[in-house]
Parts: sequence; structure tokens; C-alpha cells
Amino acid sequence: MEFQPRDYKALIEAHALHRTRADDHPLSAPTVSHHQVDTVEDIKEEFFDPLREPNSKVSSLLDNEEDIHYPPELTFTEPTGQECTKREWTSFKRFLMQRFPVPKMVSISAMSNGILRSSKKSEKLSTATHLEELDDEQKILEEGIKFIDRQEYISRLKDFKEKIAKAWQSDDRVTSLKIAIKVAKLLTDTSVGQFYPTLFVLATDIMDMLGDMVWERIKQKAEIAEDGDFLFSLPVNFQANDVCLDAKETCNNWFCKIGSIKELLPRIYLELALLPCWRFLIDQPIDSLQRLVMMTRGLADPLACSYCHLYIAHCAEKLPTFDSGCLIRCVDDTKHLLMYSLLLKEGIQESSEDRRKFLVSLMEPSIEYIMHHIFDKASQKLVESALSEFGVGNNEPHESVLSVSIIVHNLIKELPADIVRSKAMGITYLIECCNDYTLDQWLNYRLLGFRLSEGECSLNIIPVIDQVIKSVSQKDMVDEYLKVVDAYMDLILQKQMDDHLIRILESISKWTYRKEMVEDELTCLQSIMVKILTHFKELKDIIALEHFFEILDMMHGRSQIVVSMHIVDRAIRGGLICDPAIIQLLFKVCQTLIHAVNQVNVRDNDLQQPAHLISRFICKVNYGFDIEQHLTFLVECRQVFGTTDELKETLVHSSNSLAIKLLRNKKKGLNFVKSCIAFNEVTIPSITSFMQQLKLYLETAEVAIMGGLVSHSYGLIDSCISCLQSPDLNGRSADGDEILSFLQKLCSFLVMVPGNYVQGATYTPNSLFVLLDSQSWMTLRMRLRICCAMILLSATLSQMNLPYHACNSRIPGNDVLFYDDPTYLEDYILFAEEVTGKLVDVINQEPSHVVRGRMALEACNCIALSFKMNSKISTICSELLGIAKRGLGSKDRYLKATLDLIGSCSEFPQACQ
Amino acid sequence: MPVLEIKLSRASRIYLPSEPLEGKVILKSNSSFSHYGVRLSVNGSVNMQVRGGSAGIVESLVGAVKPITIMNTIAEVRPPGRITSGTTEIPFSISIRQSGGDHHERFYETFHGANISIQYLLTADVMRGYLHKSLSATMEFIVESDKAELLERPVSSEMVVFYITQDTQKHPLLPELKSGGFRVTGRISTLCSLSDPISGELVVENSAVPIHSIDIHLLRIESILFGERIITETSLVQTTQIVDGDICRNMTLPIYIILPRLLTCPTSLAGPFSIEFKVSIVITFQSELSKVQPKSDPRTPRLWVAMETLPLELIRTR
Repeated sequence: MEFQPRDYKALIEAHALHRTRADDHPLSAPTVSHHQVDTVEDIKEEFFDPLREPNSKVSSLLDNEEDIHYPPELTFTEPTGQECTKREWTSFKRFLMQRFPVPKMVSISAMSNGILRSSKKSEKLSTATHLEELDDEQKILEEGIKFIDRQEYISRLKDFKEKIAKAWQSDDRVTSLKIAIKVAKLLTDTSVGQFYPTLFVLATDIMDMLGDMVWERIKQKAEIAEDGDFLFSLPVNFQANDVCLDAKETCNNWFCKIGSIKELLPRIYLELALLPCWRFLIDQPIDSLQRLVMMTRGLADPLACSYCHLYIAHCAEKLPTFDSGCLIRCVDDTKHLLMYSLLLKEGIQESSEDRRKFLVSLMEPSIEYIMHHIFDKASQKLVESALSEFGVGNNEPHESVLSVSIIVHNLIKELPADIVRSKAMGITYLIECCNDYTLDQWLNYRLLGFRLSEGECSLNIIPVIDQVIKSVSQKDMVDEYLKVVDAYMDLILQKQMDDHLIRILESISKWTYRKEMVEDELTCLQSIMVKILTHFKELKDIIALEHFFEILDMMHGRSQIVVSMHIVDRAIRGGLICDPAIIQLLFKVCQTLIHAVNQVNVRDNDLQQPAHLISRFICKVNYGFDIEQHLTFLVECRQVFGTTDELKETLVHSSNSLAIKLLRNKKKGLNFVKSCIAFNEVTIPSITSFMQQLKLYLETAEVAIMGGLVSHSYGLIDSCISCLQSPDLNGRSADGDEILSFLQKLCSFLVMVPGNYVQGATYTPNSLFVLLDSQSWMTLRMRLRICCAMILLSATLSQMNLPYHACNSRIPGNDVLFYDDPTYLEDYILFAEEVTGKLVDVINQEPSHVVRGRMALEACNCIALSFKMNSKISTICSELLGIAKRGLGSKDRYLKATLDLIGSCSEFPQACQ
Repeated sequence: MPVLEIKLSRASRIYLPSEPLEGKVILKSNSSFSHYGVRLSVNGSVNMQVRGGSAGIVESLVGAVKPITIMNTIAEVRPPGRITSGTTEIPFSISIRQSGGDHHERFYETFHGANISIQYLLTADVMRGYLHKSLSATMEFIVESDKAELLERPVSSEMVVFYITQDTQKHPLLPELKSGGFRVTGRISTLCSLSDPISGELVVENSAVPIHSIDIHLLRIESILFGERIITETSLVQTTQIVDGDICRNMTLPIYIILPRLLTCPTSLAGPFSIEFKVSIVITFQSELSKVQPKSDPRTPRLWVAMETLPLELIRTR
């Protein structure tokens, strides 16, 4: 056998693609005229190019298409105010029900027995029921509290609703009203607690339905005469004068009926439901609303009262004119009620604290909703008057009126941002004044901070911050202090109040020395630290910040990890890190980071990110020409980060790039390259991933060749092979394709490596070949490919001129080293023959015909390319072609191409037959 | 069997004495029938009764006092003849006040009370000879005073200031109420138009014992001249709660009570009877005792209840 001689230079020239200069740069913007012609010409084939500017023709076309697709959405007119509020109310109701999930059993008191009785009636005869009812009532009186299933309660309410609708349809309006009163009475019972919001939603749903029905009926009376003639349709903004007497009479009747309800709460609810109907009688229904607000003062139960206020706010929206005065009064009354209950219940029962807090939490949505609607569409003047009502003074101390925390909280929440800013001082005094059980004071300070950070603040904010921080530090509660400071951090940084910052850090650091932080405080501290880190663009500024790193040292756990990660992240965002001091500092931070990560026992996924950050930090480190120092740094790193694979990989890469840097610049200092390689030789075996080991070995071998260290590269290649041979490889899940491509790369690398004179030129390929048999995990396909690679390697190495050489000119290629050495050529031919034999063997082992056919073609191509055609080779080829024909059929395109190839390089055309 | 119905021109059924009472008599029948005439009678009367207790046993057994007739008119709207099958509508118009009447008859407004009831009834009769049952239908209509005779609207701000403390009570109170003290003040209208609500204000200034409820009772006082005695009875018309629970002190609450129709009428002091009204502000305090005692007449003075009763003059205005 003989290898096919090749002239690589000529081949490159022959196979190089023909190059021509392009007119445009492919990435430059196309000229406009050209582009437009295109679009006009073939609109039909136009495809949507996401990168094209949005004002081009295509996007407008798309828009048009949308027009056709969704006409209803586009034809929708702007939703009217009424629709908007309706939608808002619907979503609010949903929010209410979700916020207070209902327990399975609802406790009710005697007041709600309306809900109990209804069920019995349907089940039993009336006489029997009556007696039992008496019994029931007695029982309720004795026990006070009963329980009812939530689902049952809700389904009863739905029942009521259906009954009302049914009665109304059958013209039995009195029954409708009676049931509605019954439902409204249920709202008197606040002992249902958690269920109350849901009850409110369901009951007011029924009220609204009744209100709508009454409205429609009276409107109909006004529009249609008794004999069915249509008179006229009432305009939207009708006056009481437009309404005929008959309709007025009916309307009046409804209000009379409601007026005769004995109990206060159902009377208010029903009149609210009918509130819009006042428009049929009078032009100023607002007066009635004001009276109703005043009447609500008669409800002493805070929960019932505040939800009644909520319903007032809802019903007020149905009136054509809006009056925030009523709503302000509602909030004011709630405030008095809370203050009164504060006075009354103080000292009675300390244990009822939780119960009271719970009550306040139930009331809060109502306060929030009303507050929102006071400031939602209010004019500047209204806002001013509302503010003075709520006791926000003109930035003067002690001008404020007494208030209640929870109300102040919602006030701050709903005020327009510019008002919050201009009245910040006044609000601060207001917060200072109220410190009660309804809401912790610090929450208000915190909210103020967040609201202030919303927009651009003027400098007069500084005294506000001073005041807040002063009053929070007085209380000596770390937790509260941190939470409040966190809210103001953005402002402090934004206004560059460095003195404040340092003072805050100082007091935090004092605290951290005094006692260990708990989880909650740490999270808060973390947020503060991260804010500082994000603010300062330069790491230097942070280092200059006193106490910052002290505090970081005192932190622990997850928060410490997060803050450290932020520091590293900030560092690697810039360019190279050259300052040894900063490197040292970051190194320490990384050290604690790794330490903390190991301690916290986090999942592997979480660990990836810190490792990734540190590895990027290591890459960014640059000691300039002091590469010795750099290597020392890498050694230090290995000591500290030795537990993480990813970092060790980075270290190897870094040391390799150090060596390359040296070789590029000075071409001297071989010893340093040696130490780099030695560093790698030590580091690589400790990496757990075997694939990574292989890759790093090869990489280092390449560096060694570049540095002219042949024996080192031999050693490294040996390490590779022994690594592949290691018996425990079987157990590991190595990716076959990855190993295959690694081996192929290794073969191509061997082209550059001078043959080993002592052990024989084919020593390395041979040891690879031996590997084929010893490793049972290799698939047939892998073996085939490896064999092909080795045949190609042999063919290449036997050329007169090698296709490429090592860039270090002192390293001779095999073409120079073994010039005209017959034993060298023979060795390779023998080796290639052996491999070819193996190749045929491997193909014959394959059970599937089709796969075998493909493998045969692959091998055939390889052989035809590598060897000169002679009888022996053509026998092998025709044998392989035979296998392929059997497996794939003679029409296969791959087969035909292979035949062409063989035909072109063959001197014996008969081999193809 | 034919069906007889009366339908008045106004759905509210309210008429003034000077106005004609208008409407339709509706006859529905499957077959035609003959009759002796369709007759309408309008009857207005004051019915009084004296119940046991204030009157003697004999009187209570005898029952009611002789009613006073206000009006009694009969009109034939269809002379004897035949009614065809299907629906027949006979429109009518009867003047309530007899124009020929020489003395000025007093028209009392409709009132439904406990002992006195002033009622106006319209009855339609169809006589059908001996073999057939005669048809009859009755309907009440409501009479309100003529606008022309009425006063101008009263000066609205006729308010009486009241204050209720432990010292204004004539009945015994719980010791803790007596010692702790309470003070509820306010004002309320005592001259009120029937078409307007009773209005006023109320403030709980202080109270040592928590308040359970504050209600306003509307009371009627009906007096009947019975023989030589005047028998008076007070009864509850309507209760309206204005405070539920122990509310904040020193908050002004509105009093707003719509007067119920038919159950109220202008205060009237006629010869044989009189109808007057009162309002009573009742404060119920929280007490364990109230739970033990069964419910009874809310007017009974109790240990845990404080009250103030004020006269209320009701008038009809334009």
C-alpha cells in the first residue's frame, strides 16, 4: 500500500472559494430607493422582517390587518366614566374576596338567623317549623354564637338573589324588597369576622341589583304612559322637572317603604341602593348622600360602619355630580370611631390586641378605596382642602390634628406624588403624632420614603429625612430602623447626602457589633447595601466608604452572599482590574463568598452564579508585566477556591493565557512557561469532570508546543491517553460525541507534534489505537470515526510537506524530522493497514444493513482519499461498496458520489463495478 | 259568573274632596246577561271602638261607638238593561263634595289607627234579580285635604331642644346609670308637614354605661268621646333606630323619619274624637338585665332605658 501524495498549497488554492468584492457592506443600511422598489414589486411575497424599521410599509400593512381582524375592539368608543367605575368596582370586589379567604365554617350570631330560617321552611311543614324556630331562637339566645358552613351561606345568598329577581318579574315587588331587607340585615352581624368582606360583596351585589331594577322601573314609568304609549326618552342629564307625577309618586313610595325599616343599617344600605333614584324627585341628590353619611355615624361597630362607608363611596359614583366632601367626612368619621375605640378599649384586655389588629386589617380596604377616590380625580383646590381636613399642616410642627396611623398610611399611599413631596414635612409631623395599634409607625415613615423616591425631589427634602431618621433612631429598634432607612436610601444617595450615609452606616455597624442580626434584619440590610452598591459607579468609592466592609463582615448567610456577589459583579463590569489593593480586597470578598456559599448549604444551581462571577473576576485580574505576581495570585486562588471545578478550569485557562502572553511579548523566560505548565499539571487532575480534564490537558499541550517544550507536551498527551484509559471511565456518563470530537482534535494536533524518536514515531497513534479495543463503552460508529481519523492522520504525516506546523520555528515538523526516513514511512503504512483491517472489522459487526451501508461509504471515502489505488485497496473498496449497495440500494446519492470519487482517483476503473 | 272590577284613574288612589272621583267599572263575562242597573255608592265614615281596659266591661261587650258618616252618595252609572258578553267598561265620575250641601261638611283625611279609622269606600253593585246572585266590588280610596284650604308651609325651623340625663327621668334607673350619669342632647321638629320627614339632630355627649341603641318612637294618641267620658289610648305607630351600639361621643347625628302614609294624618281635634301624635326618644343602655327580660311594649319604662317624649303636631301643607 502507498499513501496518496498531496500538495496542500495547490489544494488550498484549487478549493478556495472565488472571492469578489461586494457592493455594499452586508450590515450597512440599504439605500432607500432600492428597498422601496423591492417592496412595491412583490408585495405578495413580503415577509415580516422584525429588524426593519417600524414605519416601513409592512408594518402599516400589518396594522391594517389587525383592523380587519379585531373590529369590535377598535370600534369600541372610549369607556364612559360609569363603565370605568363599574369595572373598577368589579375588580375591587374580587380583590376583597381574595384578600380575606373565608374559613370553612362561618360563625354567626343571633342577628343572622335570617339565613338560618330560610332553609328550614323549604324542608318542613310550616307548623312544625314554627315550633322548631322558637327552639332555635332560644338556643341561639343561650349560646350566642352558631356556626354555618361557608358554602351553605353563600348558596343561600344566591338563593335570595334569585328569589328577588323572580319575585320582581312576577310583579311581586313587595316580596323583593322584603328579601332585600333581610339580606341587608345580615350585614349587621360582624361576628362573622373574616367572612364579612365576602358577605359585603355578595350582599351589596343584591342591593345593586335591586337598585338597578327600581331605577329601570321608575324610568320606564317616566318614559312610557300607563296605556303603553312611549312618551319620550329621558336625557342622560335629566332634571326632576322632566319626570311625570306618576313616576315621582312611585319613587316616593319606594323611599317611604325604605324609611319604615326599623333597623338603622339595613335602612341605610337600601337607601344607598336606591340613591340614584333621588334624581327623579330632586335635582340635588347630594344632600341625601350627605344625610346618609351622617346617619352612618349611628353605627357603632367599626367594621359595619367602615363597610357602610365603602358602600357609600360606591353608590356616590353613580350620581352625576361627585362630591369628595362626603368621602372626606367618611374617613373622618372612621378616624373618630377608631380613636374612640382606642380610648374605650385601652387597658380592658391586653390579649385583644391581635383581635383589634385583625379588625383593622379587615377595615383597611374600605379606607383605602375611599382615600383613593378622594384623590383620584380631585382638583388642586380639593386636594388642599382635603389635606387640611386630614390634618396635614403647612410644614410646621404641632400644627397637625390628631389622627390614626392606618388612615395616615392610606393618605400617604393615595396622595398625588407632587403633593407628597411639597407637604413632606407636614406629613412627617402627622406621622409623628400618631402611634397607635392600628399600624406600626415605622410603616408610615417607610411608605413616605417610598413615595418621596417616586419622582425628582428638591433639596428641601433633607430636613424631612433628618427628622425621620432622628425619630426612628430614638426608638432603638434595629429592625424598624433598617426598614425605614432602606426606604430613604435612594433619596439619600440621589441627593448625595454623604454625611447622612456615613452616619447611618456607623450606627448600623454599632448595632451589628452589639447583637447578631436575624433573618429579617439581614434581608433589609442586604437591600440597603445593594442600593449603595448600585449607586456608586466606581468600586473605589465604595472602598472609601467607612464601615461598609465592616458591616459586610458582620453579615452572614444568604444576604452576605448576595451583597458579595453584587460587589464582585460591580468590579467585573469595568475594564481590567489592575490595582493590587482592589484585587486583594475582591479576593477577600470572593473568599468570604465561597466560604458562605459552602456554609449555607445551597443547591448546586445557586452555587453556579457566585462561581461564575468569581471566575470572571479571575479573568479580569491583570498584573501587567508582573506575571510572576499574577501566577502567585493564581496559586493563591487555587488554595482558596480549590473546591469548585469551574474556578479551577478558569485558573488553568488563566495560567495558559499568562504563558501565551509571555511567549508573544518576550519569547524569553521559558522557565516561567514551565512553571505555568507545572501549575496546570497539578491543577488539572483535581478537576472532577473527565471531559474537562481532557480538554485542559490538550490546551496545555498546545501551549507547551508553542513554547517549544516538546517533552512536556508528550507528557500531557500521555496524561490524556491514560486519562482515557482509566478504568473508572466506564462508570461515568461521558458524552460519546464529545469524546469523539476530542479524539479527532487530538489527531489533528498530532500533525504538529514531532514524532517520538525513542518510542517510535507511531507511538502515540498506536496507544490511541490500543484504546479502541480496551474501551467497551465506545460505539461502533465512534470506532469507525476514530479509525478514519487515524488513517487520515497517517496519510498526512507521510506527506513530504505537512499542511501546518507549530508556530514556534524551533520545533521541527515530522516532514523535517524524518525526511526521507524509510522506516518512518513503513511504520505508518503498517499502522494504517492495521487500522484499515480494524475498520472493515468494525463495519462487519454492525447489525443494521442501512447503518452498515453508511459506515462502509464513510470508510470507503476515507480510504480512497488516503491511499493510492492499487489492487489491494480497490478490493477493499469494492467490498465496502458492495456492503453499501446491499444496505442502501444502488440509487443512494451518497453511494453515487462515492463512486464518482473513486472513479476520479482510480487507475483501475473496473474496481467500481 | 261575570266578574266585576273597579279601576280608579289614579294608581295612588289619592283624591282631594274638591276633585271628581273618576275611574271605570269593568265587567267581564262569557255570556250576555240582563241586570237591574249598575250602581256606585261612595261612603266615608269615622269608625271608633273602645277596647277593654279604659272602658267598662259592658261597653267593651257592646263594642264600637256609633260611627260618624262623612259622606254617603249613590249614583247609577248604567240603567237596567243588558250587558253583552266580553269586557264592558263603564266610565264614571262622581264629585266627592256635594255641591248642593248647605252646611260646610268637614272632610277628614284617611287614617288607619288602632281605635279610630277614617275610611272612604267606593262600592259597585250590579243587581240581577232573584235567580242570580248580584255582583259587588269594593275599593278604598284615600282622601287628602284640599290644597286651597291649607295653610302655607309652616316655618320649618320649629325645633324643640331636648336633653336627656339621669335627672330628667321619672322612672327608676339602674344604679350604675344613676351614678355614672349620661347626657344626650339634640333638637327635633315638633310641627311637621306630613309630606316632610321629621328632622332633627342628636348628640351623645357622655354616657358612663355603653349605649345599646337609640330609637325614635312615633306614637299616636286617639281620644274618643264615650258617653260623658273621654277615653284616650296611646299606641306605637313606628320605631326608627338611629343609633346602633355605643357610638362616639359628641358626634352630631341626624334625625330623619319619613312619616308613614295612612297611619298618620293631620292632628285633628274634632268634637267626638281627636287624633294627636307624639315622638319619643328612647335610649337603651347595655345591660345584662335586658337580655333576661322578655321583649315587651317598648314604651314601658325600664331600668336600663331613658326616654323623652315630645308632642308632635302634624299638618298638611301645600
